[in-house]
Amino acid sequence: MVEPVNSSLGKMLLEEVSPVVMVLCTPLVEETFLKNGLSFLETLKPFCNFSNIDVPVRTSGDQLYRLKKFTLRLFYASDIRQPNVEVAKQRLEHVITQAGEKDFQELKSDPPQITEILSNPESEIAPTWFQYYNKELIRTLSFSDHEAFDHPVACLLVVSSKDEEPINKFVDLFNTNRLPSLLNDGAMDPKILKHFLLVHDNQDATTERTSKVLSEMRSTFGNNECNLLCTNSSKEGNVEHQANPWASFKSSVSADKLGCALTGDDIVEIKDLMQEFASRHIIPYMEQKVRELNQQISATRKGLRNQIKNLWWRKGKDDGPDSTKGPMYTFSSTESQIRILGDYAFMLHDYELALSSYRLISTDYKLDKAWKHYAGVQEMMGLAYFISDQSKKEAEYCMENAFSTYMKLGKSGFQNATRCGLWWAEMLKARDQHKEAASVYFRICGEEPLHAAVMLEQASYCFVLTKPPMLHKYGFHLVLSGDHYKNCDQVNHAIRTYRSAISVYKSTTWSHIKDHVYFHIGQWYAIVGMHDVAVKNMLKVLDCGYQSKATQEIFLRDFFDIVKKTGMKHEVVGLQLPVISISSLQVIYEDHRTYASQASALVEESIWQSLEDDIIPSLNSGKSNWLELQSKLLPKKYKESNVCVAGESVKVDLEFRNPLLISTSITSVSLICELAANSDDLKLVDKEPSSSSLGPQSSTEHNQGTTSGFSSFTLSEVDFTLGGGEKKMVRLTVTPSEEGILKVVGVRWELSGSIVGVHYFQSVPVKANTTKGRRKNKLTPTDALKFLVIKSLPRLEGTIDHLPEELYAGDLRYLVLDLKNKSESPIKNLKMKISHPRFVSPGNHEEELTTEFPDCLKKGDEQNIVQHETNRTSSVFAFPKDVSLQGDKSLRWPIWLRAAIPGTLSLYFTIYYEMDNVSSIMKYRTLRMHYNLQVLPSLQTSFEITPSPSRLQEFLVRMDIVNCANSDCFQIHQLSTVGCRWSISLLQPVDTILPSKSLLAGQALSCFFMIKDCRKSGTEDEKTMSLPASQTDVKLFTQDDDEKLFDIVNSPLASFHESERSSQGASTRASPNTVDFILISRFAKSSNPSAVPDLPKILSHHSCHNSIRTSSPLSWSLDGPQTIHHDFSTSLCEIKLKMVIRNTSDGVSSVTINTNDCLPDAAVATPSSGNQSGWRYIPTVTEEMKLTSDVMGSRLGKPPSSMESRLGKPPSSMESSPPFIWSGLSSTKVQIQPLSTTEIPLQISVFSPGIYDLSSYKLNWELSEHENASSSTSSGTCQGYPYYLAALQSE
Amino acid sequence: MIVCVAVVGHQNNPLYIQSFTDADDALKLHHIVHCSLDVIEERVNNPKKSGTTLNEAFLGLLYPTLNYKVYGYLTNTKVKFILVTTDLDVRDTDVRTFFRKFHAAYVDAVSNPFHVPGKRITSRNFAQTVSNIVGSYGLN
Repeated sequence: MVEPVNSSLGKMLLEEVSPVVMVLCTPLVEETFLKNGLSFLETLKPFCNFSNIDVPVRTSGDQLYRLKKFTLRLFYASDIRQPNVEVAKQRLEHVITQAGEKDFQELKSDPPQITEILSNPESEIAPTWFQYYNKELIRTLSFSDHEAFDHPVACLLVVSSKDEEPINKFVDLFNTNRLPSLLNDGAMDPKILKHFLLVHDNQDATTERTSKVLSEMRSTFGNNECNLLCTNSSKEGNVEHQANPWASFKSSVSADKLGCALTGDDIVEIKDLMQEFASRHIIPYMEQKVRELNQQISATRKGLRNQIKNLWWRKGKDDGPDSTKGPMYTFSSTESQIRILGDYAFMLHDYELALSSYRLISTDYKLDKAWKHYAGVQEMMGLAYFISDQSKKEAEYCMENAFSTYMKLGKSGFQNATRCGLWWAEMLKARDQHKEAASVYFRICGEEPLHAAVMLEQASYCFVLTKPPMLHKYGFHLVLSGDHYKNCDQVNHAIRTYRSAISVYKSTTWSHIKDHVYFHIGQWYAIVGMHDVAVKNMLKVLDCGYQSKATQEIFLRDFFDIVKKTGMKHEVVGLQLPVISISSLQVIYEDHRTYASQASALVEESIWQSLEDDIIPSLNSGKSNWLELQSKLLPKKYKESNVCVAGESVKVDLEFRNPLLISTSITSVSLICELAANSDDLKLVDKEPSSSSLGPQSSTEHNQGTTSGFSSFTLSEVDFTLGGGEKKMVRLTVTPSEEGILKVVGVRWELSGSIVGVHYFQSVPVKANTTKGRRKNKLTPTDALKFLVIKSLPRLEGTIDHLPEELYAGDLRYLVLDLKNKSESPIKNLKMKISHPRFVSPGNHEEELTTEFPDCLKKGDEQNIVQHETNRTSSVFAFPKDVSLQGDKSLRWPIWLRAAIPGTLSLYFTIYYEMDNVSSIMKYRTLRMHYNLQVLPSLQTSFEITPSPSRLQEFLVRMDIVNCANSDCFQIHQLSTVGCRWSISLLQPVDTILPSKSLLAGQALSCFFMIKDCRKSGTEDEKTMSLPASQTDVKLFTQDDDEKLFDIVNSPLASFHESERSSQGASTRASPNTVDFILISRFAKSSNPSAVPDLPKILSHHSCHNSIRTSSPLSWSLDGPQTIHHDFSTSLCEIKLKMVIRNTSDGVSSVTINTNDCLPDAAVATPSSGNQSGWRYIPTVTEEMKLTSDVMGSRLGKPPSSMESRLGKPPSSMESSPPFIWSGLSSTKVQIQPLSTTEIPLQISVFSPGIYDLSSYKLNWELSEHENASSSTSSGTCQGYPYYLAALQSE
Repeated sequence: MIVCVAVVGHQNNPLYIQSFTDADDALKLHHIVHCSLDVIEERVNNPKKSGTTLNEAFLGLLYPTLNYKVYGYLTNTKVKFILVTTDLDVRDTDVRTFFRKFHAAYVDAVSNPFHVPGKRITSRNFAQTVSNIVGSYGLN
């Protein structure tokens, strides 16, 4: 801790509580000194502070002590009066304004960091002009009537030697009429020490006259009291002072002019004069006076008797008329005398004496209720305690007391309270009680805003100085102070305080406060004309989505106003409006992988990879292949960059989000790219952009080709408007036109046409194009946006014409794959692979159809007979070798589509092709196509075959058909058995089966057929026997007798049947006990013709591996809606279902229904060896109890093992079907009496539109033969039936 | 009347701040809450001599401003609860009860598995609970 004397308060007291010397001089004296640009007083001022005067002093006690530091205060007589309040106020304002202008240049720089502020030394934290201001503030109170230290101690009378009758002038000067009123009206003692000074101007006065006048003076006023001062010794008046002593006192005039006529000797003379004046005259005089007063007071006031007397006397005065203001005390009253004694003692640094005097007088004033005087004395006591380093508590108590007493006086006391507060705060600061000091500053804020602003700012610095620093309060007080400054139009100061406040709030998340600070400082910077800094600050408030709409509007409006005022289009790195979601950044480009459509580009790479495994040249084979060759050809640094082809665009998807409630227009959104012709030209762009930098447009520079004047790539520009809170995915493209290295550096956009935002991608992690790229784990984010552009290559474009999005199960379509090569170079060696060969089968010849579909499939259309496909095991379809495409030619290839099973399906096609000699880097490309199909359930068939009891070769077939379609009707056309073994015939005429000729929606139909095994018993060889083809088909329609039947042994029906067989049956080996059926139906009519533009022509339903035996102890059905319409954007959809179970056995059956929520990624089902798992065979149960899960024959031909797989997950072809959950009970147990039925309610919830297969449940049954016989029980598990539910989005 | 309640994280980041006044004084209340953090820090660093307050989460009256009284509460995880009220004579027990309820509501809110610790509390349920507590407090 600093010693009190050396603290700033100590220094202040030394300066401010020091003897006053009244100066009286003639106009000629002033004139002499004005030659130096200084008044007489100003000339003397620098020499009134004595740091080591070394004068022995003896006041009251016997002990002598030496005074070291001493100060005199000089005042012209005319200034010895209480300053005018208004003038003082203006003066203070001037001080502040000046300080503000001085700081102006600093405001441009960035705000300081909080750590910087804290690491500053204590003295540098607060601006220095505060001390000056405080001093000025204290001076406004000088010469108050309740204090004595401003009473002049001495009087300096100055006359020039040029004056006429100098002696008379001296007398005139101290004429009582011209003395200050304070001296005349008795507030101050007019009998003071007089000193006479004769000024001799060496430039224009003669020495003789001067010496004559001097001797005359000496004889008149006494030898000791007179002095001579010779000045202006320099004739030319151009002396320059190295360390100009006046510079610090007068700043407005250029400092080097000051004192130009004064030589070094002159200055020494002035110095000596003042030193002598102080040490020889003033100090001894004061000493003398102190001793006198002390004696006098000891006599009248000290001692018990005097005190009692005094007390009694004061009591008598109690009923004075004006008790609030207290009595007036003249200088001669005892009270004033004591006060003078105290103040003189204080000025002579005898604090003991001062304290005792103050203590004595303090009680008197209190009794007199002279509150102002009382407070003044208390104040001095506090200071005396402090400076003499005595009791801290006492000092503080006194200051507090003084302060509150002043405050009690109301408005008149406030000024005094302010001064008292300033001293008190200084005192606390000197003792490191900064927090308390701050609260004192806060208390003296008052009502005047400018004053309050300064005080609040000082308070704020106190909070920094507290240990530990109270930064929150620091910030708050700065903000308060700034607001006050702004109210007084002190914008510079307001900016300064807010600038410091920013350092507090910058790194916090107190966005409300932060926005306020940044917004206002931005506005203020705009007021002072620093628009660029204003914009910089305003940028911080743009992302203010949490503010109210009105606030956002104000923010934006002001922001754009300021931006306009700057007069140029700023480019802002890291503009927060709109917000760019970097995680959404997705780069889509094509190297050897090309995409037919946007949708296919978004498919996961792994799907494509697994699809392409067979057709593209192997990557990992140890043999030297083209790819290793490629890696040798490629310079190493290219290896990590992606490859793209000149002329083909690289697309970047980026999401823009408007955080505000106001809609914003965003224009000219484009990428920032660099294209270097080769690797040598590519300079490393190390312009690591800072988070928010501001400058004129520079990003456009990037977008110029580095090699030549014209742009070597083209960029797309997008304009759009973002509504409040809206998000938009924007696709930006860059198309390089030359080879080289392309780098996507960032994105730029224009906000409301006035400011350019730039966002650089480098510094952020990019998920990027790693959607593709098998080298993705090696890619760094920057590399991900770097492309090696190679020479342009042929690119195959492909579409499938008229591929329906929605079709019925079984629907057979003829489609055309249209391939186009727009470039000149030929492509060859085409191969195609299809993800679902069950659904799609490519044709064999280019444009093979001459007859219209579907008639071409009919029998007798001999030209279309196609040989059976021999090699269907590999799903790769190789186009014939002679197919090559070149020069804007197109290839149309037929494709058969058959919707095998209901559900939502993703079809993937990949077409591989090779180019000739075009690029060493890329020798082949693949075209990837992706289509989504929605397959609606149509007819559901099931077959049950019962052996004829009489004829071994004959079987009765029952066919159950249910039209599961939503509204459409179907005509049944034909039923065929596959293979040559079984002949089929109708049992009833067709008309009796279906009189209406078409099957309406929801209608079920059963009809019976007879099949006959035509194979000779014992002969296994199928080839030996042949059956007329007509016997394997049954016509199921009556009209148009001439209409031919469809030929099922020809492609595509035959090939589709092959794949049906293999996907429906686990074992490829044909069991002798199974029959395959193909039901061909036609579309009858649509209830809503406009809804389905492309009507299905024929539908084929294949049912394979129908076993000859069946039976079951349980039968059940699931009832519920087939199709529902629901608005999924609002809520999920709950669907109620009902299960009816019938116990067909004789025993009581207890059935447990377990539902399984299918998870999309659940494990694949366990393979089961037999038909069933989880049931025990019990010998007592009759043969008919032997359970097969498929009650309806083969349940669409699904073998049990594939049914098992439904437990875990939906069938493979439905992988894109969204999940649903069973929302009712997950397990229900019921007892069913023999031959009775029961109903169980079920419920599912679906979340998105789609077609759902609700077969994911199991029935566990347990059957007891007799009611209480526990021994003879059997149990088993039944899988759920397929039940398709179409949930559609309602409009 | 309670005019403002706030939850401030252990890094002095605001987690939840809600004012209950009609006037547009959000900024002022934010400042008051922000400032009171200094007082809390001071309280925590220089605990009162009396041993009973050692494990006390309730920090008592932080500071009286001209029109408001600010109370604080510090949880074990150094999350601060701040209450700004305009009532001039407030019983400590009432405030204690308030904070206890508030703490419970906070614990419920952060126990939500979807809540990210250290991020703003966005739970509508929490907001509702808090306003209920504040409402019931006003009636006492």
